Amino acid sequence: MSRLVEIQQQFMQYLLSDAADTQHGQIQSIMKANVSEQAGISANDRLQIYSNAYRIRLKETIETDHQLLGVYLGDHLFDKMAADYTRQYPSSNKSLRQFCDDLPNFLQQDDFFKQHPIIADLARFERRLLNAFDAADSPRTSFSDLQAISPEFWPNCCLRFHPSVQIFTCNSNAVEAWQALKVDATPPEPDYQSQRAWLLWRGESRLTEFASLTAAQHALLLGFIQGNNFADQCEQMLEWHNEQSAPLMVLQTLQAWFQQGLIRAVVSN
Amino acid sequence: MPDTRIKEDFLGFGLGLRTDHFEHILQHQPDIDWFEVLSENYLVAGGKPRYYLEAIAEQYPVVMHGVSMSIGSTDPLDMDYLKALKTLSNDIQPKWISDHICWTSIHGINSHDLLPLPYTEETVNHVAERVRIVQDFLGRRMLLENVSSYLSYQDSTMDEWDFLSQVAESADCLILLDINNIYVSARNHHFNPLDYLKKIDPRRVQQFHLAGHSDFGDYVIDTHDHDVPPSVWTLYQAALERFGPVSTMIERDANIPEFPALYQELLEAKHIAELTLPENAELARSSFGTRSLDGLNKQISTHYVSQQPVRAKQ
Ligand SMILES: [Fe+2]
Repeated sequence: MSRLVEIQQQFMQYLLSDAADTQHGQIQSIMKANVSEQAGISANDRLQIYSNAYRIRLKETIETDHQLLGVYLGDHLFDKMAADYTRQYPSSNKSLRQFCDDLPNFLQQDDFFKQHPIIADLARFERRLLNAFDAADSPRTSFSDLQAISPEFWPNCCLRFHPSVQIFTCNSNAVEAWQALKVDATPPEPDYQSQRAWLLWRGESRLTEFASLTAAQHALLLGFIQGNNFADQCEQMLEWHNEQSAPLMVLQTLQAWFQQGLIRAVVSN
Repeated sequence: MPDTRIKEDFLGFGLGLRTDHFEHILQHQPDIDWFEVLSENYLVAGGKPRYYLEAIAEQYPVVMHGVSMSIGSTDPLDMDYLKALKTLSNDIQPKWISDHICWTSIHGINSHDLLPLPYTEETVNHVAERVRIVQDFLGRRMLLENVSSYLSYQDSTMDEWDFLSQVAESADCLILLDINNIYVSARNHHFNPLDYLKKIDPRRVQQFHLAGHSDFGDYVIDTHDHDVPPSVWTLYQAALERFGPVSTMIERDANIPEFPALYQELLEAKHIAELTLPENAELARSSFGTRSLDGLNKQISTHYVSQQPVRAKQ
């Protein structure tokens, strides 16, 4: 093995290891042997500058991406989360933008954090907001494009959505907690009584927005995203509406979606 | 004498494009000569970052600056990353593309830091070979930037400036000299920063970075969260004396002030360049600051500019 490979491996091992690691002392002394003693500060302190910077940079990334989760947890638990996550999920991406992609999974599986499922939900919601923020751009279409299609073709029409459109579902009141934290209010007690669904998207003004979905709206959106046509979706709505009101409900909901800039194209087969 | 220049045109005085300033730039269209954009921030598909980047790249010359090529790593080059870089460069047509002479990742794990390399023959050959591959792939010369470092390896057999020079020569690439990083490393490793400048081939120096740092007495950390300090301005002056007019920009990554404050700081850089290189035709082509300099806003100081050439002190 070349010396360059060896040095890089030992340096990385040193960065990844922390005081919680039983082999930390050994890893540290292996790396220290590569470093010259110079005037000013010791080789140990020189190495420490790198390991501090490594942890601080990743912690700041979590803070930036998950600001309100940080407020929810408070400093002590946030530090614990940052340290444990950084230890278990070293970055394998070119950009720090993806560093926290596994944070919701970590929080869902970690023995300590999984006791409070709302924490993982909060993290997952904040990831979705970020995805909506920098999803690809695309033109949007308006209700008049649908109106331009002769109504007899409507039953076969399908929709294509703006790349920023996402559905977020959870069993907790994580979004309500997020909203409270956003305005510096005390979040409600965790509540796991019902499933909730939210629509997230980036509007024409490039603002990231979200809105709650009723069960019917959720099913409608999900079906269209999966490629169902109008006829399929009107039929699905019969679970919540009668035969007269179902098409009307679909049409009204669609009209709102067009207005919100959710729809990229109407496809008629 | 034949024109031995390798580098491309002098762009003038630029700033690092930062999210906080997007709106200000589009609204006020300041007469900055060019912007440097952080490639990794725009490898996302779209959204706000891409919208602003494209709007600004339409109005200003831009250069791309990356932090995760990991050119010195012993991992294979990340071709997906290079493809993304090439796509972005096709989209925004940068004047040039730079990254750092360092390593950032190994075994696929990214430290997100610019980690130092041992200065050995082995490393020179390894890095130069990879730079050649990247340049072939991108179809253009790239710039390598010197990093700040806090440690030296037992294995090193040469000085940092020889290492950088040998890589640049062997790979036939260009150099982005970070004046602040030279200062920071000089303090941490106790060398004379002017020795560094003397050893670098002026034909290869395409760009300068200026930035601030945190001085802890026994050591200095490259934090990019302060104004450019007097020590760095002085070294900048020496660099101008050695290299002539070189496209210069100020990097600010934390504690980012309002745009006008950075604008003022960049005026200082131009002012120092004008005093150091009077009547320089290339310098005169920079239109940055002409509006402010002609107007009432001429508040820049000449405080840091030495009346004597800095090199005379050696
Ligand atoms: Fe730099």
